[in-house]
Amino acid sequence: MPTITERLAQDVRFKESINSCINCGVCTAICAAAEFYDYSPRQIAGIVQEGNEEKIIALLKSDTIWFCGQCMSCKTRCPRNNCVGIIIAVLRKISQEEGYFVESRMGRQQLLIKRNIGSTILKYGYCIHPEIVNPEYHPEQGPTWEWVYKNKEKVYERMNANLDKPGSGTLRKIEQDTLQELRDIFEVSGGVELFDKIEKYSFEKAAEMGLASNPDSMDNYVKYISNE
Amino acid sequence: MNKSIVVIGAGVAGIEVASILADMGYNVFIIEKNKNIGGNVAFWHHLFPNNRSAAEVREYMNQKIKVPNITLFPNTEVTDISQKKNVYVVRTNKDATFEVGAVLIATGFTPFDARRKEEYGYGIYDNVITSVDLEKKLERGENITTTQGMAPKRIAFVHCVGSRDAKVGHTYCSKVCCITGVKQAIEMSKMFPDAEMYCFYMDLRMHGLEYERFYKDAQENYNTQFIRGRVSEVSENKDKSIQLKAEDTLSGLPLKMKVDLLVLLVGMEQGKDSDKLCDILHLHKTPENFIQPQDPHLQGNVSSRQGVFIAGTCIQPMTINETMQNARSAALEINHYLLHL
Amino acid sequence: MQNEGLKNIWAKYQKEIADDHYYYLRSCIRQNFFPGAEYYFLKILREVLGKDVYDDPRHTTCTGIGYHSDIVPFETIQTVVAREFALMTAAGYRNVAVSCVTSFGIYSEILETWREFPKELQKARENLWKATKREFEIPENIAHASDIIYKFRHQIAEKAKYKLVNTNTGKPLQIVEHIGCHYAKMFPVKGIGGAEFPQVLSGMIAAWGGDVVDYPERRHCCGFGFRQYLVQQNRGYSLSNSKKKLESMQPYEPDAIICNCPGCTMFLDRWQYTLYEMEGKRYGQNNESIPVLAYEELAALVLGFEPWNVGLQMHEINTESLLDKMGIAYNPDEKYLDKNKQPIGSFNKTGCLSCC
Ligand code: SF4
Ligand code: SF4
Ligand code: SF4
Repeated sequence: MPTITERLAQDVRFKESINSCINCGVCTAICAAAEFYDYSPRQIAGIVQEGNEEKIIALLKSDTIWFCGQCMSCKTRCPRNNCVGIIIAVLRKISQEEGYFVESRMGRQQLLIKRNIGSTILKYGYCIHPEIVNPEYHPEQGPTWEWVYKNKEKVYERMNANLDKPGSGTLRKIEQDTLQELRDIFEVSGGVELFDKIEKYSFEKAAEMGLASNPDSMDNYVKYISNE
Repeated sequence: MNKSIVVIGAGVAGIEVASILADMGYNVFIIEKNKNIGGNVAFWHHLFPNNRSAAEVREYMNQKIKVPNITLFPNTEVTDISQKKNVYVVRTNKDATFEVGAVLIATGFTPFDARRKEEYGYGIYDNVITSVDLEKKLERGENITTTQGMAPKRIAFVHCVGSRDAKVGHTYCSKVCCITGVKQAIEMSKMFPDAEMYCFYMDLRMHGLEYERFYKDAQENYNTQFIRGRVSEVSENKDKSIQLKAEDTLSGLPLKMKVDLLVLLVGMEQGKDSDKLCDILHLHKTPENFIQPQDPHLQGNVSSRQGVFIAGTCIQPMTINETMQNARSAALEINHYLLHL
Repeated sequence: MQNEGLKNIWAKYQKEIADDHYYYLRSCIRQNFFPGAEYYFLKILREVLGKDVYDDPRHTTCTGIGYHSDIVPFETIQTVVAREFALMTAAGYRNVAVSCVTSFGIYSEILETWREFPKELQKARENLWKATKREFEIPENIAHASDIIYKFRHQIAEKAKYKLVNTNTGKPLQIVEHIGCHYAKMFPVKGIGGAEFPQVLSGMIAAWGGDVVDYPERRHCCGFGFRQYLVQQNRGYSLSNSKKKLESMQPYEPDAIICNCPGCTMFLDRWQYTLYEMEGKRYGQNNESIPVLAYEELAALVLGFEPWNVGLQMHEINTESLLDKMGIAYNPDEKYLDKNKQPIGSFNKTGCLSCC
């Protein structure tokens, strides 16, 4: 079994994203997450550079790796050509593959994203569809969106869109054969495997917490992680 | 034995080598692309570690070349160098040809072009200047103000601009900018006693005997704070003051600061002159694009080509006194070479 | 701001942008929230500039939002992108026009990976073949849709009906531009003007008569943050980043914000509404909000297309103040009408922001 440190190094993105860190703070200075959360990309670079297996595993189980917003602002100016945003992406990948993500509050949220964005991708062929932006969960979208949402057909028609209809155009319906190709791509390239892992580890955690007894009854767990 | 030498570059190194070799009885031709001698010292105001006027060093150089067997060719550039056995034939853009026994390259350095660090807004934001601009202003006796004509109340100095930075292709430390920053902070504080000074550094490289004293003095007597963090981004406020972002890495917190004047401590890089000579003579270069000595310990002034010597900051970043010492060793090396031909 | 300095930077970052024959790749966010922007992009290219653009019904999301929220593996997104390229290849096109900055960043990152690590390219080809029996060529030219509008900005200016000039005062409008992090922060050479002083939008604004506002937080992220917005509990992150920008631009009293990226357009629009609901604060002139437009919408307005056809009624922040300044004629009564000029529903103005 390769160590976590070795697994990190196997990802080509990781190799490209950490050379050596001079601890200059250029990344943390402008990080969109650093001001909002207790988070510092400089410290992430330090931990992965040190390569201490225990510390890295602790990191993979913590909220810390889930604070980054993937804006990649930290790439532009790093004097050592590092990119902590991409290091984070690789850490998150391994955290999910190993099931460590369920050990932190922020990590557990991956199930919500998988069930929301993940299923939208395979159902509609888009990451977002008007159907999933329910004003009830999106008060920030405001009354205009509520109006759009409630009158989708007419509004999108007015905008010359092609909502859920065959052919080309905005929000057209993606045909079944295309959706099948997308699903097949997810099947052969590890996408489905990742979805399954997120579900599996989340269920195990839910069971451990006494919030679910079988994988089809995860409502309590979902409610819990949505509000914790 | 050919007792003539061509020295390329009339800065600190070139002139020191020329004057020593002239003393020894050689004929020296100095080829200088500019009108004036002095290289980068020509426009400098005060020098660390003792704040002496750079004019005194210039005066020293002027005296040194006033000897019959040194001939200075100002406004002249080398266009070609060829070799016939132990004789080098040097041609210039003024159609002069010199047949000499040795060539010394002392082309010095070019201050880093701060416009390349786009995130610092040099050449875009009015109140961002470089350490070189500041010396020039001081030397010309100009008032130091913001572009709005106000006396600055807060000045920040950014270390390592164009040095230790893979993004601009310069991984090395330029060696002189830390102490230049401290020197300039003290000068600014003397000029504006109520103003606050901030130096943003990654490591303070206080390698000279007196430098640490300077540093302490700046902290204790000249309102200078040292913050460990590289400046990440510079922008302009509506009132034309400057906003900078860095991390105070010792406390681990991102910080945003408003300053009236921002001074970029620009590093040293090799200019086109040394690149061109390296091409003509097929000299080896270091990965940092400086001219590679034959042996860093034992033959520091010998280039990868017999009869071609190097001195001063075309080899690596150096202070003025290091350049002086380096030039003297180059002169001995050349003398030794010519005597044993 | 010294223009010489800007020109010096811009001269370093002028990338090649194909002149014609684009294979169009749509944006999930843009088509949801600003469908008119995509519609008018195509219309302008085809009808105003006489270009050929192929709008292929078979392409899909690039899965970029899933990738950056970590539920789509790198190998999967590479294969999805490979499929888009295969469709382009099959349609006989070589130039791609991408409607989304996130996608554009994805394409840039993947092409860079394939260049550095040919094995990854090999794997993407194999995966695609296994899943779809498709093959692909790498596009000759990848442009963000704004690059193309930038390229033709002067032609658009020549045909313009309106300028970015305040018709009451005759002065240029003060416009904030927001580029979107993934346009050039990862690969500055892939963006017009680079990462620090991008020219892609400022070039349009200048060509159409406006002035660009350079405010301190110009380069800061809008705060999308992918998982930070997608998960309801994390949205404070997103909001606080937008707020930081809005506070920073407020002293300049901008007439409008123009965005490059579909996500940013949505956030800077919606978060202004949210901040008003939560804190009673607005950031524009006369204590009003600042209209936020996509560059395609702006191009359409400048060319004289009717604002409600362009889709400005889908913005939470009213854009009428901008239309009035530009002297654009519009009928306020038609704002919420359908295709047959019948009213569409009615507004429920009571949100529940303070309780959530
Ligand atoms: S990518 Fe993540 S770590 Fe990098 S600046 Fe953005 S939020 Fe910070
Ligand atoms: S910018 Fe680069 S070198 Fe500096 S602290 Fe961040 S990762 Fe390390
Ligand atoms: S001397 Fe100081 S400022 Fe100059 S490059 Fe070295 S560490 Fe940086």
